[in-house]
Amino acid sequence: MSIKLELQNVTYYYGKGTAFEVKALDNVSFAVKERSITGLIGHTGSGKSTLAQLFNGLEKPTEGKVLLDGADIWDKKYKGGRLCFRVGLVMQYPEYQLFEETVFNDIAFGPRNKGMSEDEVKQLVMDAVSFVGMTPEILEQSPFDLSGGQKRRVAIAGIMAMQPEVLVLDEPAAGLDPAGRADIFAGIKRYRDTTGASVIIISHSMEDMAEYCDDVIVMHKGKVMLTGPKDSVFADSDKLVAAGLDIPQITRVMRLLKENGLDVDASVCTKDQAVAELIRAFKLK
Amino acid sequence: MKNIALGQYYPARSPLHRMDPRIKLIIAVLYIVAAFLCKNLLGFALLAASVVLLVILSRVPLKTVLGSLKMVVFILVLTVAINIFLTKEEGAEPLWSFWIFEVYTKGLYSALFIALRILSMIIGTCMLLTYTTTPIALTDALERLLSPLRHLKLPVHEFSMMMSIALRFIPTIMEEAEKIMAAQKARGAGFTEGNLIKRIKSLIPILIPLFASVFRRAFELATAMTCRCYRGGDGRTRMTTMRMHAMDIIVLIVSVAALAGIVSCNYWNIGYTL
Repeated sequence: MSIKLELQNVTYYYGKGTAFEVKALDNVSFAVKERSITGLIGHTGSGKSTLAQLFNGLEKPTEGKVLLDGADIWDKKYKGGRLCFRVGLVMQYPEYQLFEETVFNDIAFGPRNKGMSEDEVKQLVMDAVSFVGMTPEILEQSPFDLSGGQKRRVAIAGIMAMQPEVLVLDEPAAGLDPAGRADIFAGIKRYRDTTGASVIIISHSMEDMAEYCDDVIVMHKGKVMLTGPKDSVFADSDKLVAAGLDIPQITRVMRLLKENGLDVDASVCTKDQAVAELIRAFKLK
Repeated sequence: MKNIALGQYYPARSPLHRMDPRIKLIIAVLYIVAAFLCKNLLGFALLAASVVLLVILSRVPLKTVLGSLKMVVFILVLTVAINIFLTKEEGAEPLWSFWIFEVYTKGLYSALFIALRILSMIIGTCMLLTYTTTPIALTDALERLLSPLRHLKLPVHEFSMMMSIALRFIPTIMEEAEKIMAAQKARGAGFTEGNLIKRIKSLIPILIPLFASVFRRAFELATAMTCRCYRGGDGRTRMTTMRMHAMDIIVLIVSVAALAGIVSCNYWNIGYTL
């Protein structure tokens, strides 16, 4: 699979040159594959949210390069068009950015800024609403009358409606109940499967990462600690535990089983894999 | 957004920082009165000396003090120019004239005095209040000074609570505004393009979520305060008590004496008088 988005030796300071200078990212390099869902994990303050704003050009790296389809987005000769339409960013608690009178108009804000015709806008809004699993009746309502989970989905639909090639979501499921979380992640998966976009999900929930991601990048103190397909990252669970990070519950159970003498692969991180692994182990006995 | 200077409190340990905020507030008022009553050179000399004294006592670096004057440079230059060129002195020879402009001695003096007045007023009140007193201490002091008005059924406590809350939430709301701006930029909103009407319209996607969030915060804060049994000023005691020390009394007496000095200078007409 080819590479969609790449960071090369990116270093980022907040307040460079002032007394409050903070190094948020330290020589960070990684690549995000086309059509993949990549999880970005780390503690609070590990530089995750800073990364999110680098992806779509809201912030400029102090040093290093951000490459989209191999082209440096900060190069003077960059001709990739306006970046915010190519790399869609759903910020934390996106429901607080809703402002229009109807859900339709709010979702249409992005596509209209992109300069689409009203017919195209209508189609894009319809698509976005179906991605997030909502029905068209909601389009005539005021976004301020919706429930928290619904608002969140409308806000995510607002970014999806721009049909970005890379969709970045910062803690998309924070503060939602399990059903709400599942809805959000199902929507993200539907978007990837339909449009073929790359998705980057920022989270600190190992469960969600294990469940929905293909690749995982682990950030620790502004540096990349681990990166790769999720199985290989969770196989390094010792390293995650040493860094004080959580590991998925399933992986934790499998690690305990292995420590207690059952010959299983301790790197599995989803329920289905675990079931298969346990059946195999017991058959061997 | 970050360069909006609001509440430029400069944390330091100095005699001015330690002073009772109530006294500082009173002195600041006296100070402004003094600056306006000043009419002759000796009075202005006293005023200028007290500004220097305040700056030294506050232990705020000179660079910071001068930085706060950036905002008033324009007003200062304008008033000085108006005073120099538009003051007419009957029966006196102009010092210098060009086209319709004529400069008289009186104009030069009045320009000098007005400049000293503005400068000393701004530096003096900044030293006494914004630099050395936290906004919360200031509203607290205001509440106590105004508390006799309670008997006239004026909601003094509620008024100062509103002030404190407003001041407390300025940084929070600025942060919120920055976040919303970033979020709308990520949806392709532009804030710097087009004509005036277009630019005003482009603020709607920021202002509406901002107002929504301000109201949400207000309701949340009200609930949180109710949960902690807040029910207004009656019978509330305070965590910090303000005590006047000997120093405060001395400073107050000195300030009143200085004001009296300035007023009496006006009678004796020492130096050039307007």
